[in-house]
Amino acid sequence: MAGSTAQRRRPPASRSGEDATTLPREIGISKEEALETLQVIRQECDSNAVRTGGDPTALRKCTALELLEQEQAQGFVITFCSALDDMLGGGVQLTKITEICGAPGVGKTQLCMQLAVDVQIPECFGGLAGEAVYIDTEGSFMVERVVDIATACVQHCQLIAEAQQEEDHHKALETFSLEGILSHMYYFRCHDYTELLAQIYLLPDFLSEHSKVRLVAVDGIAFPFRHDFEDLSLRTRLLNGLAQQLISIANDHKLAVILTNQMTTRIGQSQSTLVPALGESWGHAATIRLILHWDNNQRLATLYKSPSQKESTVPYCVTPHGFRDVQPPPPSQTPEGSEMNPRKRPRIEEDKQ
Amino acid sequence: MVILHAGLCPGLTAEMIQLLKANGIQTVVDFISSDLEEVAQKCSLSYKALVAVRRVLLAQFSAFPINGADLYEELKSSMAILSTGSKSLDKLLDSGLYTGEVLELMGAPGSGKTQVCLSIAASVSHSLKQNVLFIDSTGGFTASRLLQLVQSRTEEEEEQVEALQRIQVAHVFDIYKMLAALQELRHCMSQQVVCSVGPVKLLVVDSVSAVVCPLLGGRQSEGLALMMQLARELKTLAREFGLATVPTGIQVELDIGGYEALEERPGASGEEL
Repeated sequence: MAGSTAQRRRPPASRSGEDATTLPREIGISKEEALETLQVIRQECDSNAVRTGGDPTALRKCTALELLEQEQAQGFVITFCSALDDMLGGGVQLTKITEICGAPGVGKTQLCMQLAVDVQIPECFGGLAGEAVYIDTEGSFMVERVVDIATACVQHCQLIAEAQQEEDHHKALETFSLEGILSHMYYFRCHDYTELLAQIYLLPDFLSEHSKVRLVAVDGIAFPFRHDFEDLSLRTRLLNGLAQQLISIANDHKLAVILTNQMTTRIGQSQSTLVPALGESWGHAATIRLILHWDNNQRLATLYKSPSQKESTVPYCVTPHGFRDVQPPPPSQTPEGSEMNPRKRPRIEEDKQ
Repeated sequence: MVILHAGLCPGLTAEMIQLLKANGIQTVVDFISSDLEEVAQKCSLSYKALVAVRRVLLAQFSAFPINGADLYEELKSSMAILSTGSKSLDKLLDSGLYTGEVLELMGAPGSGKTQVCLSIAASVSHSLKQNVLFIDSTGGFTASRLLQLVQSRTEEEEEQVEALQRIQVAHVFDIYKMLAALQELRHCMSQQVVCSVGPVKLLVVDSVSAVVCPLLGGRQSEGLALMMQLARELKTLAREFGLATVPTGIQVELDIGGYEALEERPGASGEEL
């Protein structure tokens, strides 16, 4: 505590002139505490002086040009639905938090599982060759489904390799198999919000051991915070703190963070609308917000919030192979006029009212 | 809060300080606000010496009054108005961002705060050729979008590259790092050290509420203190160095409850001189 009060009082540099004998007399702390304080300040001074030495705790500044080069060099996590990828500007972006909101059954968990497989696609096929961390709070993760998605993905890559016949494709396919994909997906199950908070808190240590992780998916960030939570201001604080930790992880380790959120009803003056859950202050947490919804029988994805892409809506569908584009309907094969039941007399079409 | 120590001013000896400390006078503020006759009696020090010391301390640590006309002249010569790049926004702000002032942008999620920040940064960097420091705490800074905004202002690649090089970006995700970044900027500018690019004219903080929200509420008051400290740092940077600062916040009603107003400490302003 002595260290933090010293930091807050004045900029560190000016205090380093004091020595350990005058400090205790002036502030009234013990000599050991004074030595500790001075050590902390000197470390700060040293790290400030050697800023470019790659010290992770020192402040890193870079110009916008350098950031642009970094952004253009880093890839995206594709979703296998090209319309969605185009809308997102190439796919799910690294170093950002993407939030996926939707009503139950619309495909949020499917998209998470698809992305957890797609992040592992080797670089020669246009992927990131990374690993995935999947944090499940709702228990909706089905391994059998991931097997289906992974098998389809591997087959897709094999078709590409056969069509293009390049050597590195075949080499990559040796490691990119069903077992490989499943073994590089790290699964954590959290049963309540305390476990979730602890897991996110411990995540940086895990990530420093597994440096190839490029995706962290939290399936169901809303669920542990929505039931049995009495103190709403505590919830807001915890969620905001969680958001800051996640964006800090995303930035430090250059990975993409995906969160899924539920929908709730906001009752306005005369009507009610469907909005993402967890309140308005949570709306600021995610950098990119995607809302999945239904329109009759068609599933649609709307980009609601993004710093670099335009807002738009695209259709998608969920097939046995995973998340895919909507296939245009096949051209009708029966020529006009011939029907299943040939009519004896032509029917006159009545006007629809 | 400056603590009395020997050598602070001539006439303030170590014995005097010991006697003063024994009577509960430890800081400059305590000394100046105490009744010197009483102190002279209690500490058995000479009244004249105490008055002399007080005069020197006041001269050293207090703010100088300045009359309105002089202030107006000074502002006219030192204040600049930075155009935001959008005519309607400029009109709303009485022709642009004034240096020495803090402009706060507030809005609901997705309303465009980050976009306004990016376009102001692009405009100041390209049209006015001034250096910008962009402190990002939400991860919303996208360099490719910034490039698009700069490209809409100029076609030449050289100019675009220069404009991008004038914008420095710092990623900070909690309040202590943000305070450290602001203090480092203050340190840099007060020493007139050329911080590898040049003097910064615009400081954009996107967003302030992301780092402050996790601390506010509940029964703890530390969050409010940190928030006030952040506000003070921004104002000091703006006022002292003639920066235009733009922090963004979110539009959420907070019930702060029954907290007492924080006391202003007059002694603290002495450090800035």
